[in-house]
Amino acid sequence: MQSARGRASAVIDLLIIVALGGCQQQINAPAPSFQAPAAGRGEQPIEVMHWLSSGAEASALKVIRDRFDRDGGRWHESAMPSVAAVNAAAMDRLLGGNGPEIFQVSVGSRLQELAKYGLVRPIPLNASELDVVLPDIIAHAAKRNGQYIAIPVDIVGENWLFYNEAVLARVGLQVPKSWDELLQACAALAASGKIPIALGGQPWQERILFNSIVLGVGGRTFYRRVYEQLDRNAMESTQMLEAFRIFGTLRKYVDEGSPGRPWNLATAMLIRGEAAFQFTGDWAKGELLAAGIEIGHGIGCTLTPAPDRAYVMAADAFAMSASASADALAGQVLFMRTVLDRDVQAAFNRVRGSIPARVDAPDAGFDICARLAMSVIRDREAQLVSTGLFGLSGGMSGAIDDAVSQFWNEPQMGAEEGRRLFVETVGAFK
Amino acid sequence: MNTTAESCEERVSGEPPSPRLLAPPELPPGGRTDAFWTRLALLPAGTIALVCFAGFAAWTVLISFTDSGLLPDYGFIGLHQYQRLFSSGRWWTTLRNLAIFGTVLLVGCTTLGYLLACLIDRRGGAPIAWGVVFILPLSVSFIVTGIVWQWMLNPSTGLQAVAHEIGWSGLRVDWLVRRDRSIFVVAIAGIWQQTGVSMILFLAGMSGIDHNIWRAATVDGIPAWRVYVTIIAPLLRHVFLLNTILLVATIAKSFDLVLALTGGGPGFASDLPARFVVEHMFERQELALGASGASVMMLTVLLGLSPYVYLRRARGESR
Repeated sequence: MQSARGRASAVIDLLIIVALGGCQQQINAPAPSFQAPAAGRGEQPIEVMHWLSSGAEASALKVIRDRFDRDGGRWHESAMPSVAAVNAAAMDRLLGGNGPEIFQVSVGSRLQELAKYGLVRPIPLNASELDVVLPDIIAHAAKRNGQYIAIPVDIVGENWLFYNEAVLARVGLQVPKSWDELLQACAALAASGKIPIALGGQPWQERILFNSIVLGVGGRTFYRRVYEQLDRNAMESTQMLEAFRIFGTLRKYVDEGSPGRPWNLATAMLIRGEAAFQFTGDWAKGELLAAGIEIGHGIGCTLTPAPDRAYVMAADAFAMSASASADALAGQVLFMRTVLDRDVQAAFNRVRGSIPARVDAPDAGFDICARLAMSVIRDREAQLVSTGLFGLSGGMSGAIDDAVSQFWNEPQMGAEEGRRLFVETVGAFK
Repeated sequence: MNTTAESCEERVSGEPPSPRLLAPPELPPGGRTDAFWTRLALLPAGTIALVCFAGFAAWTVLISFTDSGLLPDYGFIGLHQYQRLFSSGRWWTTLRNLAIFGTVLLVGCTTLGYLLACLIDRRGGAPIAWGVVFILPLSVSFIVTGIVWQWMLNPSTGLQAVAHEIGWSGLRVDWLVRRDRSIFVVAIAGIWQQTGVSMILFLAGMSGIDHNIWRAATVDGIPAWRVYVTIIAPLLRHVFLLNTILLVATIAKSFDLVLALTGGGPGFASDLPARFVVEHMFERQELALGASGASVMMLTVLLGLSPYVYLRRARGESR
């Protein structure tokens, strides 16, 4: 009897220990390494919290760091594995009044909310000088009350079509110039036993494909009406119906293993020649480079078919914590100046695979896709918002993902139903 | 007859107080009673429980009546968030999934756990060695379980692909990517992981069963399975209850498993309320909407546990 009770309580103790151990790990894990600043050694070092932790990203960050060091600044890093980790850790510490002096952020509604609560420090640089060199929609999203609250360092584009040249050549296909051509190409590829489209089946990736179709069907003015003005008439238009029709037709050109697949595995399918096309952002170039592929040799890229030139953009930026001490301000401003430097932006983005946020950065040394993108965004009309990362509130952007993903994953849902679902879901969040 | 289960109950409830406590208190040197020191010792734990559980839960409910976005904001807007919540098709999907996932996991773990416990209990030889096999999955985190199962069950990379490669092209293992089945995959993976806990609980309970029951059953010629079903199971009712409570807690918070296994997909076909809440709170700057979802979850759990509270009270009065 006694031993039985002993055993039972030992088991329960064990469970408690396991549970506590788990808690402790969770508490310890996100705590950033924070070295106490050494007193009395020249300029106050600052802490930079960021998610640039993969190989290419880390090398890109080193470009900024080298320049910053050269100009007399000192920083220690809190590198995080993901955007979500930085968001969570930076938020906790900002609220605790101990925010990292500099932290990475996507320009958009989250940044604006941080500013609304006075958690980020306005950047004491001349706003009108910056307005000239940054794309309008990005400048707008990085400012509050006419002052910059974050400095964008790069632009990532989402309306890219990557293709395997050898697979297309084997079936005798050209790179499609319109969505009709793309549908025909997919039919031919499917008939030859290839997977036409390597799709990462997560809501945000499905949305990237859909938004490319919206742009392709309606053009950039229409895209703006839908996603910048949230114009109900545009959402209920025949163009939207056509977009859903094409999107629905593409379901059968995606393999059944797609749901849940991360984007880099979809890129790997393209590299191995199992699939012909991938619709994803220019971050895929990092994966290609890591596989030893030069863009345009084996794997090509082009903007997704559209009646006019346009670039669906999102931007990474750095913001300054408002709670940092006055001593740290010099370091914070030096960091921002460094990030804003034209040559630093060019060098950073050559390594990272994205394009500089400054439209006047030199394009020498960039790959063919990046040069195309840099020329496209010089036209102000071509600058479009990504619904995923900025331009819209988090709830609205999520609602769009929900509607698009639900339509994509319910094959029996027709185009008209899709359009209605979209209008209803987005309307509920307005 | 005194079983582990009953002694467990005494220990947990602490009522009625044991005779020793009712005896005239011997005053310790400080002049205070035992009861005082007991209460004092419990004070920190009690405070933590009150602040962390009741306090934070109340705060979450409070936030659900506001228009908070990224950060808490105390502009009260009544039940608006609940209206938005229940007009969301995705929220309803998560509730339906929770019902399926919860039922399958609860029934599966309890049945399988009890069955395994019976088998190991009767072997008599080296029960712990066998028990270890089934409890090992528990030492794997839900994230790892999710990823490994995802590899196995994804039709393009897992079992189906292997079977097709070796010529068995008729085999279809595609539940993971089917809208109407993916939540069952999550539940099955959960069973694989959690059955060990149920089993070990039942084993612990069984080791306290009086041997005379077995002797009597042997004399009467009752087959072993009937002893387990009709005699031992009722004796272990408190273990069943404990098992249910632990599983309900696991079900309510199961966020990481679905995240790693299906990512809530295809689309959000296998989404669970916890994932909905976390996503809206921390990724979509919809703190208040997430809080309203969390409040509904809490209410569901409270409703689920209320029969237990009611039963205990009823029994307490009958004594």
